[in-house]
Amino acid sequence: MTRDSALASPHRRRPSTLRRMRLLASLVAAIASPLAAADEASLQAEIADLRAQIEQLRSQLKELATQRGAAPAAQAAAPAPAAGTSAPATAPQPDLAQRVDRLERTVSAQAEEQSATTLFSYGEIAYSRPVHDSSQTTADLARAVLGWSHRFDERTRMAAELELEHAVSSADDKGEVEIEQFYAERQFTDNVGGRAGLFLIPIGFLNEHHEPTQYYGVFRNFVETSIIPTTWREGGVAVYGGTEWGLNWNVGLTTGFNLANWDPSSQEGRDSPLGSIHQELSLAAAKDLSGYVSVNYVGVPGWTLGGTYFTGKAGQGVPDFPAQDARVTLWEAHARWQPGPFDFAALYSRGTISDTQALNLTFIGQPTPVPQLFFGGYVQAAWRNIWAYNDYSLTPFTRYEWVNTAAAYASVPQGLGVPTTPTEQIWTIGANFYVTPSIVFKADYQQFRIDSSKNSLQVGFGLSF
Amino acid sequence: MRHEWLIPAAATLLAPVCDVTYAAVYFTTEAAQRAAFPDATAFEEVLIAPEVKSAISRDAGRFTVEPRIWRVRAGDSSIGWFMLDEVIGKVELITYGLALDTNGAVKSLEVLAYRESHGDAIRLPAWRAQFVGKRPDDPVRLDADIRNISGATLSCRHVTEGVHRLLLIYAKVLAHG
Repeated sequence: MTRDSALASPHRRRPSTLRRMRLLASLVAAIASPLAAADEASLQAEIADLRAQIEQLRSQLKELATQRGAAPAAQAAAPAPAAGTSAPATAPQPDLAQRVDRLERTVSAQAEEQSATTLFSYGEIAYSRPVHDSSQTTADLARAVLGWSHRFDERTRMAAELELEHAVSSADDKGEVEIEQFYAERQFTDNVGGRAGLFLIPIGFLNEHHEPTQYYGVFRNFVETSIIPTTWREGGVAVYGGTEWGLNWNVGLTTGFNLANWDPSSQEGRDSPLGSIHQELSLAAAKDLSGYVSVNYVGVPGWTLGGTYFTGKAGQGVPDFPAQDARVTLWEAHARWQPGPFDFAALYSRGTISDTQALNLTFIGQPTPVPQLFFGGYVQAAWRNIWAYNDYSLTPFTRYEWVNTAAAYASVPQGLGVPTTPTEQIWTIGANFYVTPSIVFKADYQQFRIDSSKNSLQVGFGLSF
Repeated sequence: MRHEWLIPAAATLLAPVCDVTYAAVYFTTEAAQRAAFPDATAFEEVLIAPEVKSAISRDAGRFTVEPRIWRVRAGDSSIGWFMLDEVIGKVELITYGLALDTNGAVKSLEVLAYRESHGDAIRLPAWRAQFVGKRPDDPVRLDADIRNISGATLSCRHVTEGVHRLLLIYAKVLAHG
């Protein structure tokens, strides 16, 4: 291709009669059968083609009008024809110009309508093989999520996610079907917006950004699953915004936890204290609401500094419940530095549940009373794209975590309590291999300092779009 | 339930919510053009042949929409180029304008419209300033010469890829025009 055919201006090109005829014919055909069902790519191509033709016609109309001495006022920006196309042989009629305008509006409206509703999805499969007991090896479609969003106008949209965990959900299977998000949001001003519905609490790195392509390792890290119960969502309202110098904030009033759901006979509360009493807006007890505030500073490219504080009572007015005044408080602080290909992150989170003494007395003899204190933190380093070829890229990483899900209990008479758990320490080393930025294969090895029976090799696969 | 109400109540008082504007669209095309080239007297739109865009798409990813390009004039002189493009952030389109000088170096990057509540940190001047001075022969790649914003990774990546494609248009076509 010559450069003249690649870039054309109205001052350079005089289209031939034949080309003009061809253009008119194609335009008539476009008007007669506009936009048959097509995929997005072909629709975009068609829109582009039509726009090129429209621009050409406008230019030629103006040119012809000028020749006839009836030119409209000159415009600053003169449209130009596309390379390889040309103008009609005969002067277009005024009604044709109107039809062109109408067609352009139709195309724009259809393009707008097409983009107003969007589907998105993510999912992940994990294979985990304990090195000391291969009989515990599992393979699992951990989750498959279908999301959709709809933009009502430039300021207002909704989004929702439907998730299936563990592939099958039935009376005989462990799978779950759940609505993970369902909210509407509106931008009030350039810098302030609001949200209502079921939404993710803005805490830590993972809770809002939990797609498999966004984190390192086959499984989400322990701190942001055991201490912060990712994917943690509540129903409520939130207001959020940002400043020109990079401070983003988000505050909300939401449903909270229900301590009456604590099961002292189950291991679940030991695995994730808050994960065992979250309500996920499923007939949630909502007498006691919770509030949160979250801030993130992102004013320096490559840096993120932030934290979240969440608090709320968890008695929920359940009759005769001995922990009516129990309060759940969880806070975290995080920092991330991404210089060039490197990615360093650190996060610490700490939670408390108050006024549990009377409740735990009713749990005497049970293995899992309600902890008063739980905490965890991690540091992580990754070298992004240490190897890359076309879209393929490899990112090795390592992470050190320390987690304690029952660091303290409210005091009970001597001899009746259960011991606190030691702080587990976990090293994870592995790599993410991206086929494209949207498809990732993962492999890692995890070593536990205290419970070495959990040491395991893991491989996984995930995608997100 | 004693203190929780204070959090959103305080935010409501602090947030200037009465100042309702057409929020997600921050600039019109014309305003962005004028901001980038205050001395311009004319913006002449040019069209790029589909073959060029196809070739760029093969090397640098598909265009989400048809980018629009204007030659910027001050009197009889060409003083640069203004490009309008859209990329998808996570699920919604981001509209941005890229201003190039006559040598193909980025003068400015402006976000005209951002339609999601997550990832809009790409609007921050500090992030956009990373592109100033970039030329077609620069990598213009996230995590290489463009730094990421955690929590806005997809928006950062897709805008960076979009700018890279526009710079390739300059290199393949506009530099010779």
